[in-house]
Amino acid sequence: MILQILQDALFSAIAAIGFAAISRPPRRAYAYCAIIAAIGHSLRYLLMSPGVAMHILPATLMASFAIGITAVLLSSLSKIPAETYLFPSLLPMIPGIYAYKTFAALAECVFSGGEEPFMRGMYLFCYNGMTCVSILLCMVIGAVTPIFMLKRISFQATR
Amino acid sequence: MEQVNAADMCRFLVDYGANLMASGATCIRLDKNVRRIAAAFGMDVEMTVMPRHIHLTVIDKNTGEVITSISKVPDTGISFEQNTELSRLSWEIADRKMGYADAVRRYEGIKAGGGLSAWSLLLLVSLANASFCRLFGGDIAAMIVVGVATLAGYYMKMLLLSHKVDVRLVFMVCSFVSSVIGATDMLFSIGSTPDVALGTSVLYLVPGIPFLNSFSDMLYRHYLCAFARFADALILTCSLSVGLCAGMWLMKASIF
Repeated sequence: MILQILQDALFSAIAAIGFAAISRPPRRAYAYCAIIAAIGHSLRYLLMSPGVAMHILPATLMASFAIGITAVLLSSLSKIPAETYLFPSLLPMIPGIYAYKTFAALAECVFSGGEEPFMRGMYLFCYNGMTCVSILLCMVIGAVTPIFMLKRISFQATR
Repeated sequence: MEQVNAADMCRFLVDYGANLMASGATCIRLDKNVRRIAAAFGMDVEMTVMPRHIHLTVIDKNTGEVITSISKVPDTGISFEQNTELSRLSWEIADRKMGYADAVRRYEGIKAGGGLSAWSLLLLVSLANASFCRLFGGDIAAMIVVGVATLAGYYMKMLLLSHKVDVRLVFMVCSFVSSVIGATDMLFSIGSTPDVALGTSVLYLVPGIPFLNSFSDMLYRHYLCAFARFADALILTCSLSVGLCAGMWLMKASIF
C-alpha cells in the first residue's frame, strides 16, 4: 500500500515535470511542480482506496483543493505565479475514460435503430457525460478557488 | 519620481498587456499588473480585455490628459516564464526600484527571452506521457509505445506549428499520428494493457491551461474572455478527438 502510493507519487511527479515543460515555466518551477503533483495525486489515490472508499467526485474536489492551496502557498516561496503549477498537477485526474465512453454511447444511440438499444445508449451517454463534466468542474473549482481566496498571497508572489 | 507622458505610458502598457495575455495570464492578473504599473507613474488606467485584443485608456492625473490605444494579442504561445517575469517587472516598477527607461529596456529583454531547447522539451514530454500510462495502470510495453507515440506526435506538432499550419489541423494530425502508433500495442499484442496505451497516447494535447484560465476569468466575472477561452479549448479538444477517432478507425482498434 505505502509502496504503491510512493510509486504513484514518483510517476505523477515525472509526468508533472514533462507536462509543465509544455507551457514553458521558469526553470526553478519544475521541482515545485513535481511536489504539488505528487501531493495531489497521492491524496486522491488515498481517498479512493478501499480503506477510505470515497466517491470520485468529493475525492477529486478535495485533491484539487489541496493542489490549489499548496500551489498558492508555494508560489510565494518560489516567486512564480500559482497558475503555473495547476495544470500539470491536475492532468492525471482528467476523466479521459468517461469522455471516450460518452462519445461511444452517442455513436451507439445514433446507429441503434431501435428503441431499446437507443435507451441503453442514452443512459450510458448521460451517465458518462454527467460524470465527466462533474469531475472536470470539481477539478477547476477546487484548484482555482484558492487563488481567489488567498488573493494577497497569489498576486504578491512575484514581488 | 520621473515624469512620463501619457502617450508613452499608454503605448507601453497596451503592449505589455497584450504580451502578458499571450503568455497565458488570467484577466485578474492582467488587470492587477497593468494597474500597478500605471499607479507607480501617477496615472489611472481603464481597460477592456477582449479575447484577442486589449483596449486601454491611460489618464494622467497631473495633466488631465487622456490617451487610448488598442493592441492585438500576439500569437506567441503560452509561456509561464514570460508571465512570471512580466509580473515581477510590474512589482519592481511599483516598489520604486525602476524608472520608465529601465522598465522598457527590461521589458524588451523579457520579450526576447528564450526557453528550453526543442529536444529536451520533446524528451521531457515523452517521458511524462509514458509515466502517465503507468499511472493509469499500463505495463512496460504500453509505456514504451506511449513514449514513442508522444515523441512522434509532439515532434510533428513542433514541426507543423513552426510552418504556421493552422493549430486545429495540427491537433488533428498529431492525435492521428499518436493514436496510430498507440494502437500498435493492440495490433501486435505486445503487452497486456493495449487499451491504456491507446487512451493515453494523445493526452499531451489536452488544452488544460485555456480551460483553467477560462474558469478563473469566470470567477473574475470577465465572461467574454471566459467564454472565448472555453470555446478555444473546446474546439482544440474536438480536433483532438477527430484525429483520435480517425486513428482508431484506421487501426480497427477500440477501447470501449
